[in-house]
Amino acid sequence: MRPGLQALGYAASRVALAALAGVLAGAILGRPWLGMALALAGYLLWHLVMLYRVEWWLQHRSVADPPEARGVWGTVISLIARLHRRKRFHKLRFVQLMRQLQQSTAALPNGVVILNEQREIVWFNRMAARLLGLRPASDLGVRIENLLREPAFGHYLHKGDYANPVVVRRSSPQDSYLSVQLVAYGDGQQLLLAADVSRQMRLEAVRRDFVANASHELRSPLTVIAGYLETLGQDPALDEDFAAPIAEMRRQAARMNSIVRDLLELSRLEETDERAGGEPLDVPALMALLRRDVLARPVHPGEVRVRNDSQAALIGKESEIHSAFANLVDNAAKYTPPEGALEMRWWSDRDGGHFSVTDTGIGIPAEHLPRLTERFYRVDPGRSRATGGSGLGLAIVKHVLQRHGAELEIQSTPGKGSTFTCHFPPERIAAEALSDTP
Amino acid sequence: METADLTHHISRRFNEDLERVRSRVLAMGGFVEQQIHKAISALLEGDSSLGEAVALADHQVNNMEVSIDEECSRILATRAPAAGDLRVIVAIIKTITDLERMGDEGEKIGYIASRLATMERPVDKYREIKHLGRIVTEMVHAALDAFARMDADAALQVARQDRLVDEEYEAIQRQSITFMMEDPRTISRALDVMWVVRSLERIGDHAKNICEYVIYMVYGKDVRHTALEDVEQALGQRAPIAAPQEGGAQ
Repeated sequence: MRPGLQALGYAASRVALAALAGVLAGAILGRPWLGMALALAGYLLWHLVMLYRVEWWLQHRSVADPPEARGVWGTVISLIARLHRRKRFHKLRFVQLMRQLQQSTAALPNGVVILNEQREIVWFNRMAARLLGLRPASDLGVRIENLLREPAFGHYLHKGDYANPVVVRRSSPQDSYLSVQLVAYGDGQQLLLAADVSRQMRLEAVRRDFVANASHELRSPLTVIAGYLETLGQDPALDEDFAAPIAEMRRQAARMNSIVRDLLELSRLEETDERAGGEPLDVPALMALLRRDVLARPVHPGEVRVRNDSQAALIGKESEIHSAFANLVDNAAKYTPPEGALEMRWWSDRDGGHFSVTDTGIGIPAEHLPRLTERFYRVDPGRSRATGGSGLGLAIVKHVLQRHGAELEIQSTPGKGSTFTCHFPPERIAAEALSDTP
Repeated sequence: METADLTHHISRRFNEDLERVRSRVLAMGGFVEQQIHKAISALLEGDSSLGEAVALADHQVNNMEVSIDEECSRILATRAPAAGDLRVIVAIIKTITDLERMGDEGEKIGYIASRLATMERPVDKYREIKHLGRIVTEMVHAALDAFARMDADAALQVARQDRLVDEEYEAIQRQSITFMMEDPRTISRALDVMWVVRSLERIGDHAKNICEYVIYMVYGKDVRHTALEDVEQALGQRAPIAAPQEGGAQ
């Protein structure tokens, strides 16, 4: 403000000086007013000329140099020139930054696609073009789901839950597995991230095959061993000292058998990651069956209750659901003392169907809950070996539930008991039966 | 291009309707693609449960066709589209019919795959089916891509591939006849293989039809039952590869 004010004062004094000079020159000729008027007109003309020159310069400032001037115009021109320089500098820096950003995203090993609100392609990098088979330029503005047509991706979009990536199998242009994830950002924009996971999927398949084949191969020798042990155990001529070891061997053989059986079951479940189809299942009948199984155990909880609060049928694959529920009930029975109680409950509401198993057993400390469904995970190694579980039961439950779109919820208080609840989505509940419930 | 026309339509709602139904057609296409791919894998890997699953899932394709068809009728009735928009709707109605038939062929392959899985596999492990299957799945994929992009040039290229499929089909047919004459015990399996190959060839034909609808959508020209070089001439382009003698197999 200071130099501006100075220049303004300077300009005012010049006007006064010019007017005075005009008056004096006019006075010599006897026309002081005309002299002043001419002087002021000259001054105004100078301003107009300067105004025109500055205007012209501003129009052509990219090619023309700023006009030379003194006084108030000089100050104004230098101020404009400085502003202009600064702006150009920032713009240049911005462009450089943009270019660097674009180059780095383009060089990312993952595919990146920017989508607008309608999921139309706005921009994508080289890797995205390679992985998704997009064509530069001509594919801009095309909806992503029109080009990435795999049903798995369609379900992912339809569900709208983008917390986890979805694995999409592409058959064309080449057979590959892509992990695709959407990330929302800015004003309704979305970022699609894609990575090639074919290698991981192949390794996973090799691992699955190995487990399945190994378990299968172990089965026949195990059957032979168990068979001979059984004969030996019943042999009256057997030395008394061998009775206990052979009984133990039979127990262990039976346990190995159950591990192998569960491993096979698990690998069969894993083989297809697709949703299980199914028919309406009568859950109360299944619960009655499971109750009989529990009561048939040599040691079982004193009280086994069945509560049925819904007429709704569950839509699922019978063999799988039976296996999952049986595993839950089996676990509960195993960890509940004879004086304890076990309760199965089936109910349905707006959120879908729910099956729970509650026991008054030993309970599980909270720190173990997140890892409980891992294979061979032991809360208390000594104890669970004694009970003879395979360590795969809950892993099977988890897989079965996944295939039915359901979730497992575990609540437990050590010393008091646990509740395992399976939450099935509404589409897994038979429609006509659902209308009966409030 | 036509896509530009689609985007600046007077009625936004109408435009959205059109885009949505187009997306649904492509989603249906994606499902059919997967069905075909699975059916072929079921056959090649001798996976009877996969083959059965494919056959059982075909009703979903039929449902999609019916619901898209209804949507198109609704658009025709309420919006009375004209010119380019009308062509899009007409092409969609035709495309879904071809997609549905492709699904049926996939279903057939699935059934045969689950049956063949129980039989002894030939020494060459169905190499010829693998090769033909690859060409056909790529063709279907490219045809749907051309539909998504409204790309008539690409559509024309895919349509040209149909000849390759026809040649392959004839070669496999001759080969099968030779096998059957050499060893009559393989006849029943060879007949099944022939059915699969025949289905694949039909799928190729349907893919070609879809390409023709794309050209119709973009240029407004009906190029069915027209030799390919005439199509090229009509569209004002020259053939990049040796001109096939007879394009319109159907």
